Formats: sequence, C-alpha cells, structure tokens
Amino acid sequence: MSIETPLRHEAGASVLQQPLLEVRDLVVRYGRRRKAAAAPPAVDSVSFSIQPGETVGLVGESGSGKSTIGKAILGLQKVSGGSVGFQGEDITHANAGKRRAIGSELRAVFQDPNSSLNPRKTIGASLAEPLRVRGISGAEARTKAEDMLERVGLPRDAVDRYPSQFSGGQRQRISVARALICEPKLVVCDEAVSALDLSTQAQVLNLLADLRDEHGLSYLFIAHDISVVQFLAKRVVVLYRGQVMESGLAAAVTESPKHPFTQALVAASPVPRPAEQAERRAVRESLGVRTAAAVAATPGGCPFRQRCPLATELCAAERPALRRVGASEVACHYA
Amino acid sequence: MATFVTKRLLMALATVLVVAVLAFLLVHAMPGSPGAVSLGAGASQDAIDQLNQSLGWNDPLVVQFFRWLGDAVQGNLGNSLIDGRSISTDLSNRLPVTASLAAGATVLSAIFGIVLGVTAAVRGGLLDQLIGGFVGLLVALPAFWIGVVFVYLFAVQSSVFPATGYVPFEVSPQEWAMSLALPVITLAAGGAAFIARQTRASMLEALQQEHIRTLRATATPTWKILYIHALRYASLPIVASIALQFIGLFGGSVIAEQLFAMPGLGQAVQSSVSTHDAPAVQGVVVIATVVVVAVNLVLELATKFLDPKLRAS
Amino acid sequence: MIPTLPATSRKTALTKLSGHRLINSPAGLAGTLWLSAIIIASLTAAWWLPYKTEDQDFTAVLSGPTAAHWLGTDELGRDILSRIFASAAETLGTSFITVIVGVGLGTLLALAAANSQRGEGIISRVTEVMMSLPGTVIILAIVGAVGTNIPLIMAILGVLISAGIYRVILGQAKSLQNQLYVDAAKVDGLGPFAISVRHVLPGLATTIVVQSALIFAVGLLIQAGLAFIGFGPPLPQPSWGGMIQSASQHVYDAPWLMVPTGVVLALTVLSANAIGNALGKAAHATASHLPSAAIRRKRAGQAVAAASAAPPVQDAPEAGKLSVRGLSVGVDGGTPLVTDVAFDVEPGTVLGLVGESGCGKTMTALSLMGLLPTGVAVTSGQILWNGKNLAAATDKDMDAIRGRDIALISQEPMRALDPMFTVGYQLTSAIRRLRSVGEQEAAAEALSLLEKVGIVDAKRILKTYPHQISGGMAQRVAIALALSGNPRLLVADEPTTALDVTVQAEILSLLRSLVKDTGMSVVMVTHDLGVVADICDHVAVMYAGQVVENGRAASILDNPRHPYTLALLAADPHANSAHDMPERLATIKGQVPQPKDWPTGCRFAARCQFAGSACTVPIPLLPSGTGAGLVRCVKADELAMEGLAWVPTDVPASHRLDIIEKDMA
Repeated sequence: MSIETPLRHEAGASVLQQPLLEVRDLVVRYGRRRKAAAAPPAVDSVSFSIQPGETVGLVGESGSGKSTIGKAILGLQKVSGGSVGFQGEDITHANAGKRRAIGSELRAVFQDPNSSLNPRKTIGASLAEPLRVRGISGAEARTKAEDMLERVGLPRDAVDRYPSQFSGGQRQRISVARALICEPKLVVCDEAVSALDLSTQAQVLNLLADLRDEHGLSYLFIAHDISVVQFLAKRVVVLYRGQVMESGLAAAVTESPKHPFTQALVAASPVPRPAEQAERRAVRESLGVRTAAAVAATPGGCPFRQRCPLATELCAAERPALRRVGASEVACHYA
Repeated sequence: MATFVTKRLLMALATVLVVAVLAFLLVHAMPGSPGAVSLGAGASQDAIDQLNQSLGWNDPLVVQFFRWLGDAVQGNLGNSLIDGRSISTDLSNRLPVTASLAAGATVLSAIFGIVLGVTAAVRGGLLDQLIGGFVGLLVALPAFWIGVVFVYLFAVQSSVFPATGYVPFEVSPQEWAMSLALPVITLAAGGAAFIARQTRASMLEALQQEHIRTLRATATPTWKILYIHALRYASLPIVASIALQFIGLFGGSVIAEQLFAMPGLGQAVQSSVSTHDAPAVQGVVVIATVVVVAVNLVLELATKFLDPKLRAS
Repeated sequence: MIPTLPATSRKTALTKLSGHRLINSPAGLAGTLWLSAIIIASLTAAWWLPYKTEDQDFTAVLSGPTAAHWLGTDELGRDILSRIFASAAETLGTSFITVIVGVGLGTLLALAAANSQRGEGIISRVTEVMMSLPGTVIILAIVGAVGTNIPLIMAILGVLISAGIYRVILGQAKSLQNQLYVDAAKVDGLGPFAISVRHVLPGLATTIVVQSALIFAVGLLIQAGLAFIGFGPPLPQPSWGGMIQSASQHVYDAPWLMVPTGVVLALTVLSANAIGNALGKAAHATASHLPSAAIRRKRAGQAVAAASAAPPVQDAPEAGKLSVRGLSVGVDGGTPLVTDVAFDVEPGTVLGLVGESGCGKTMTALSLMGLLPTGVAVTSGQILWNGKNLAAATDKDMDAIRGRDIALISQEPMRALDPMFTVGYQLTSAIRRLRSVGEQEAAAEALSLLEKVGIVDAKRILKTYPHQISGGMAQRVAIALALSGNPRLLVADEPTTALDVTVQAEILSLLRSLVKDTGMSVVMVTHDLGVVADICDHVAVMYAGQVVENGRAASILDNPRHPYTLALLAADPHANSAHDMPERLATIKGQVPQPKDWPTGCRFAARCQFAGSACTVPIPLLPSGTGAGLVRCVKADELAMEGLAWVPTDVPASHRLDIIEKDMA
C-alpha cells in the first residue's frame, strides 16, 4: 500500500529521480513479545516517500505514531517490520557506524528546546559535535559553528555561551543550526515548533522555509497541528493510531478532506475569526464523529471505526486499503 | 497480582539460596579447619584430621553443600564446633530477642520518624529547622555511642532501666519490656532520623503536586489535604524507607546486643565469627537472611497494595 | 511555577555542580572547614602530636582534660588527643575506599542500565537482592573469613552499598539518557559508550559528589561500629570505634572518656553529611501548592492588613459579576508579575485572557481563587465578587468561595486529579462538602454530574483511578469536579492545551453548553486565538503583565487595534488556509521581556513596528472606539485610520537578526 508520489507534483523533474527517503510498510511494535502481540502496533504498515527538495508533513494526534515514525527513520526506535531507505540505501537496521556515515545527510530538529541542547556544553561544543564525530578539526568546526549561528540569526560569539543564556526560540534556532551544519539532504523536524509561543514559532517557521529555499533541503515535518504543517509542507500524510488515513497535497487535504477522520481533524482546528469559526463548529457538529472512546484499540479493521459516523460491519472486518479519491489517497471504504 | 506474588516468592527463595551458597563458601574460606577449631590449640594433627574426616570436611564442596542444605530444610543447621550445641536450637532461642529488638525499633522509629517528618514539612519555619538539626545530629551520632550515653543517663545516673541483660517475655512481660527499652531506643534513634528525612521530603513533594491545588480549589479542609491526600501520596516512599530501615536495624542489632548483653542473633554472629565457629556463622547468616527477606517481601507487597497503579497491573 | 526565573535557567541551576552552594551554606562551609582541618591534622600528626599512641602516663590514668592531656587519658594513661588524630588518617582513608568502590560501581551499573533495557532488568534484579540482605551480618561473616583486613572489608562494604547508589543514580541517568540531546547525539552516530561519557556522566556529577559525601559518613560509622564490637584494626593500633568501646567500659567511673572520640566522630560524620546536603540542595525547589503553616500564618496577617488598607468596596454588588480593578501581583520581595489589570465578567459570559507565556495570564487567573503559588501574592487592587474584595480575603474566607462560587480547571487534567483515589471518591467527597449532602445523595449526584459532562459509562468511570482514563476523559472528570459546588464562575487555565485538537473541540462544546445551561461565567486563560474565537464573548489581551487591549472578542479578532494583537494574528498560521498561506509569517522581533526588565513606557515598544517617541511614557488604557473596548496604545487611532497592518519583516536568515541578549552575568 505504498503511496504514489503525485505526478502533478510541482518539482516535476524530481519525480523521475530516486526518492530521497522511502518508507515502506513500516511497522513498529512497543513492548516485549507477548505484550507487543496483544496491542495493535504503534506504527502499522506505513509507507511514504520524500523526493529531493520536497517537504512532507506527517500529521496526527497523540498516539498516532507520527513521532515513532520519525524515530524509526533516525534509528532511535527499533523497527519491527518494513524498511526505511535513504538515497537508495536500506538504513532500517543501520548500526552506529552506518549512522555516522549517513548522519551528516539525515538530521533532526526535536521538539523541546530545553532538552535538545546539552546544558553543560557550550553552544559551540554542541554545534561542533556532529563535525568532530566526522573528524573535522576543532578550529574548523568552530568557524563553521560561527558561520552557522550567523545564518540562523544569532551572533557569532554565541559559540562560547551556554544554552541557559538563550530563550526557547533562540535555542530552537541553535538546534536548527546544529541540524544544518553538516549540509544535510533531509531534516526530520519532530514537533520542532510546538513548544514555542506564536511569535517565536513564526520566526522558526520562517527560518526553516528560508533555509530550505537556500539549500534545496527536504523536510519531514512532523506535527499535531495541521495548520503549522501546511505552512511548510506541500504534501501531507494524515495518521490515526499508527495507520495512514489520507495523504495528498496539503491544499487538497485541508480544503476538501476525504477521510472522515481528516474531516474531523480539520473541522476541529480552530481559526481566529469568530464568524468563520462558528461555521467550522457547525460543520464539525454535523459530522457526527463520536468522542475519542475510552475503549482500547483493537487490532483488525479500520482503526477509526469506533468514532466514525460512516462505519459498518465491513469496517470492522476489513482494513480499508489506500485508494485514490479525487486528488488524494484515502484509506476508507466509504470516502 | 497472583503472578506478581509468585514471582516475588520465587525471587525471595532464590535470594536465600544464593546467600546460603555464599555463606557456605565464606565459611570454607575461614582460617582453620573445623577440627582445629573444635579441638582447640594443642590438639594433635591426627585427632584434627580424624574429626575433620568424620565431619565430612574432606568431601567435595558440592556434596558438603547439599548435605548441609538437605539438613537445613529439615530444620537442622548442625552443631556448634565450640560447645557442640545444636545451632538450630540455639538460634531459635535467640531469634525472638533480635526480632523483638528489630521490630520494636522499626515500629518506634517509624512512629517518631513519621511524626517528626510530617511536622517539619507541614509546620515549616523555625520548627522545621529545629527538627532538621535534631535529625541531622541523630544521623551523625553512632548508635553505639548513643547507647552508651543512654546507659549512663538511664541506668547509671538514674537506674530507670536495667543497663544490660534480657528477660524473656514468658518470664515477666513487664521486665521484658524494661530490658528492651534502652536497646530499642538506641537502635531506633538513627532509624527515626532516616525515616523523618524521607517523610519530610516525600510530604513536600506530595504538596507540590498539582492535585493539591485542585483540592484547595474545592475548599478541602487543610487537615484533610495534609493527612489524607498528601500523606497518602507520600506513603509509598515512606513504607519503602521503613522496609530498608528494618533491614538496617536487623543488622544494627549486632551492636545493640553487644552493648546491652542481649542473647540475640547479633551476639551469636559476633561470637561465632570471633571463635571461627563455621557452622554457626553459616546458620546465623542464613536465618538472618530468611527473616529479612521475608519481612521485606511483606512490606513490598504492602507498597504494591498502596499504589493504585501497581495494584491494577 | 515560580515566575522569577525562566524555566530553563531553573533547570540548569538544578543540575550544575557548584562550589558556590557549599560556600553559601553555613553548615556546608563549617563541614568543609572541619573535614579539611581533620585531614590536614591527621596527615601531619607525626610532627605535632604531643604523645605517641602507646605512651602511657601512669600519673594520669582516666583523667579528664588537663594542661598535659588536653582531651584526657584512657585507662592506661594514654593521651586521647594523640590517639584520636593518630588513627584519623587511616579511618578517613579506609572510609574513602568504600566511597570509591560503592559510588564507582553504583555509577557504572547505572550507566550500563540506562543504556539498555535488558541490562536494566538484570542489574535491577541483582541490586534488589543485594538491598534485601542483612548487610551487617554478611560483613561480619566476611570478617570471619578474611580477618580484620580493614581496607578489604571496606571495599566489600562498598560493593554491598553500590546497590543503593545504583538506585539513586539510575533514575537520573535514565532521565538524562532520555534527553533529546542524547537523541541528537545518536543521530550524529555517537556510540553508547561515548554518549554515556559525554552526555550522561557529566550530568550526574552533583549526585555523585553528594552521594560520595553521604557514603563517606556511612563508611565512617560502620567502620567505627565494627571496631566497637571488636573487629577493628589489630590491637594495639587505636581506632575511633575501639576507643569508644573501651570508653564504654568506664562509663561508670570515667564518663568523660565517651566525649572526645564521640564528638570527633560525630562532627566528622556531620561534616560529610552537611557537605552532601549543601551540594545536593535544589537551588530553586518547586513551590508547594499548600504552603507550610508558618507561611500561612504570615499570609493571613498580610491579608488582614491589606483588607484594612484597601478602600471600601464602592460598586453596588451584583450577584455573579466579577470585577477586577487595578490588580497587581508580585513576587514577595518586589518583582511585579501582573500590574494594574482590570476587567469585568458578566454572568453567563466567557472572558478570554490571552497572550504568550510570561504575560501574567495564569497568575491573574489564580489570584481570582486566592491560589497563587507560594512566594507570590496580590500586591494591590481589588477582586470584587458579590460585594466582597477577594484580594484582601483570608484563606478561611476563600474556603467559603472556592468550589461553591468560583471553581478551577487546569491545564493538565491528569495531574489535577489525585492519583491515589478513585474518581468516585474525589467527586463524592467534594459534593458532600460543597453541597452539605449525605453519602448516598452525593453518590447519585456524582453519577449525574459525570453524565452531564458527557461521560457515557459514568458508573464505570466512578470506580476508576485517574491513570486508567484518557486525557480527554480526565478533563471531563475535572470539569465535573469543578461543577460539584454549583459555581457561578469557572476559572479555566488553558483547559484544552494538553489535549488533542478533536478532544479540545469536544471540551469547548461542553463548556459552551454548560455556560448556556447554568448561566455561569468563565474566565478562560489561553494562548490560542482560535479558542478565543470559538468560545469567548470578551477578551483581554495581555502582554508583559498588562492588559493591552480588551473588548468584545469578535471586534478584537476581526479588527484588532493594538499592534501586539495585530502581530499575534499575523503570526498565527491558523489565520490562513492552505491556498492563501503566505510565503512568510509575521513575526515579532525579540521576546517577551522578563518582569525585571519591564520598561516604564510602553512595554511592547521595543518590539513594535510602529513605536515612536510617544511610546516611552506609561500608556493608559484608552477607549479603542469599538464598543466599550479599550486599548493601551497611543498610536492605535492613527494605525486604524491609515489601515496599517503588521507586516512580516523579519529579515532572511542570511542576515543577522536583532536579538535581545540576556545579560551574561
């Protein structure tokens, strides 16, 4: 159930290239053997790919498995099934040595600016770490760190300071600098702006957009907030309980969602215009989506069926495959 | 829950078994063969060898261990090398002494520790600092020093309590209590300080929890917040610290028994180690382990019961 | 939350090993001095001691302190002072063996366990077993086997103690291992060993030093105890425990003998403990939600003073209306957190307090209930409710208001509920208290409340513990709990921030219907302008402790007047849909200033695109021209007239941004 990259994608030429990242039928189970078998997997047969220069958004609520997918790609989470390919190479079970080899091209920005920098190391030392691992000399690494800080809008002398001397937004810029210092191809941004206030969030989002345009970067942008995702991502993948519900162009998914879950998600995201919000609320209430049930997830069938207004016996019996509906891929029997 | 209890029981059994093996090996590393120890200096090498042979000392270690284990599970821990008495009988007479000491000291230190710790956390201010200082002093003063001072104050100066000796409960409950008083207080002093610190810290942590604000927002009376909700939240680490304290006090009784001439397990360890009485050392180590592991198991199950999260799983 | 420091510097202060802490604590300083003195004295003992340890003075047997024997003599006429210091070096040195072995092994085990889950399982099992052993008895058995080889015994003691050290360090090592910078290092390709050494071990420094000091004290005590029962260093070598033992033999005829050695031993142990405690003391502990009795007494006194100082309530009391006038909240000792805040909440309406973090909105909300954190208090102003000024009310007065008139729901429902009691217990006991009804009636009411907040299987939920339900369910329960006293006003502090967006929508719908059905009013603290648009009738936009704009939610969101409101809306990606998403979002340069850095003029001026010379003086709230709205900007009319919008100006990343530096001190 791989998701075809839409042919109408704007970077038309890149479609013919090998994808930068290829996630195929990824399965991640938590816990030991017996426990893992009883509960549905945290990530259940997820496939998607990212072309060079493309930004893909991964959207879902808590427990959707979106961060787990990011971790699996980065080698921070053991994969139970499926594969992750990066630049045509299988990195599903890459060891530390292999990670070191690809680590300069596949990098990450994490959510919490308070914990993503070691408080006991100077900014310079944190920025230099990925370079030093790759055998670059201290002096050269320092110069690169200073250049990079300047690029993300911080003074060069920040290298000698400690993370506690910076605000959350500034620290997130430093994390971005750390991710980009090796001139990567793909950056996994895991809730990279979720912990920031509105105005700082906008600063970091702008920075990410600028850097992407400058360097032709690709992002896998993971977030719970579909509006934030659609600022950066052309294409989004919507997850629910570890499975892909819908994927397609951001505009199509947010303007005319096809899957009942995506419809609920979009309608529930409030807009700061009272009149429009009242309409959204009316739409949401008319959808008839049931409340997130306290019942535990059960394996088999559509994971959304307990909340879905369209659900029938078929949905319990058979997991819907992704199929093309309009401009998007949708995993629903009735969309 | 049932599987948890079985698991823990098996763990406890394994612990005792491991300690039995260790004790067995230790005893064999002791200087002097049992024959030499038993017959004392001046015995002929022939007589020593003969006795060693009859005690099975020359058999392979594995054979010796399983022989000992087989006897032990039937309640026979062998005989003392020094006076030939049955070790099981001796220890079963001594166990009540140490058990009363350790249990009394644990209960006393729990009561005083919890009261002091809760008071310090709840009252705050000067009282908190005073209690903190007092507790710090109790932690720093060695039990044996406190014990001697108690003897000086209550036995020498005012003779409220007997300075030394133990009166069995069967003989006179009142004198039994009097004879236990000083050793129990001596042992409990340090334990109370330890539990007081843990209690204060746990109470303060409990009061930092957000649900305390919810309780205040619903006009819950202060006493109820403190003594029902916060204390309940703090109870888990407190009970855990009491369990640790019991283990410590059981060992600490060696000193108290020596100081107050109590015929308990501690005294047996001390004397059997000094006289190289190998089977006695082995026996007392295993018995002490059994008691401590059993009490620990009970307290652990209690902790489990106190925590709804653990109880549910 | 203690608002005096940003969350992050608090965090680092907690983990950084600092010698300052030692010097700043009198006990720690004294301990360091004593320990250094005794170490130096014992190492140089050979040169200055008046007597050799075995010198016997038969003219002074069992003497008290004299000019010749400063600390007296023992039963053989040996000088106590000389014996104490002659044996100090070995006593201290061998105790240090326990520290090295115990803390070293414990740390290594913790590092290994933090690295792999399977390793943790095995190591934890083994250490559990070790901790449940009668250590003293085992040490004695070992003494039997190896004799009184003190260094070896102390090393073995270290092995036994390492289990406890492992327990203490493991939690911290695991939390360090879970830090995102460790993930970042893994992405860099750093191996587990390098991560342990570079990223985990340095973070454990404080704990390791603290534990070392405490274990040193334990080692001293156990070593002395062993000597006391006759397993000290071979005679005639003196040892502290041995000296106390022989002193105890003379407690009848020479009680003084107990004093010198006992005091030296106790002081040394106290010193080690004091050093450990001073170093391990958290610099800024989290505030208690129920201050200690001592603080509460002080508070009550202040409230009475404030009540007598406050001007009498002038407005005619109107039932169910909240009026806040000139409210200021500050840290004890001066720093203001909220200044001169005023708003009204009419019955049956929802007021939104909106702004970024650090704007004082939560402090404002908590002051309404008299539940400000310890160390923070209302410094002036009035909170008028039913003719009473809650700002000057004592805790006791507030107990008549809390739950019954004004109720609270907070950001993290899981943490707001008591984890040790069932939902049913928490609900029924609140209902019994707030409605003065019996057990059975309360139980029935609890059930109907849960149904009222949209819980379908209420009977089952009553029997559950908070950890057994989802976040959304927990927030419904928290709302039911808040409703248990039929309040007229609900203070909701970011009630949906921790929830998924679909659950947020459900909770907002629930709140809206509750307002409609019960006629209660709500003060809703939020940072989300979409939430304001969804549920609020009125809104007060807060910035740096002030209300900068207030009025009807619809008019402010659709027609903002204050540049800060303008900027917030322009920076919000929710304001745009996918097809009209701008290339760049608007930003506000710099960040919200710390309370201590608030300027006297307009607090937003330093970040404002439209600031001018008129903005350097204090700005009052002025009528904004839309309804009864007010705005704290001298240029508001000018901006509105010219139709100026906040433009996305932040320079491309290749240029340097103007940032507000924090002081480097």
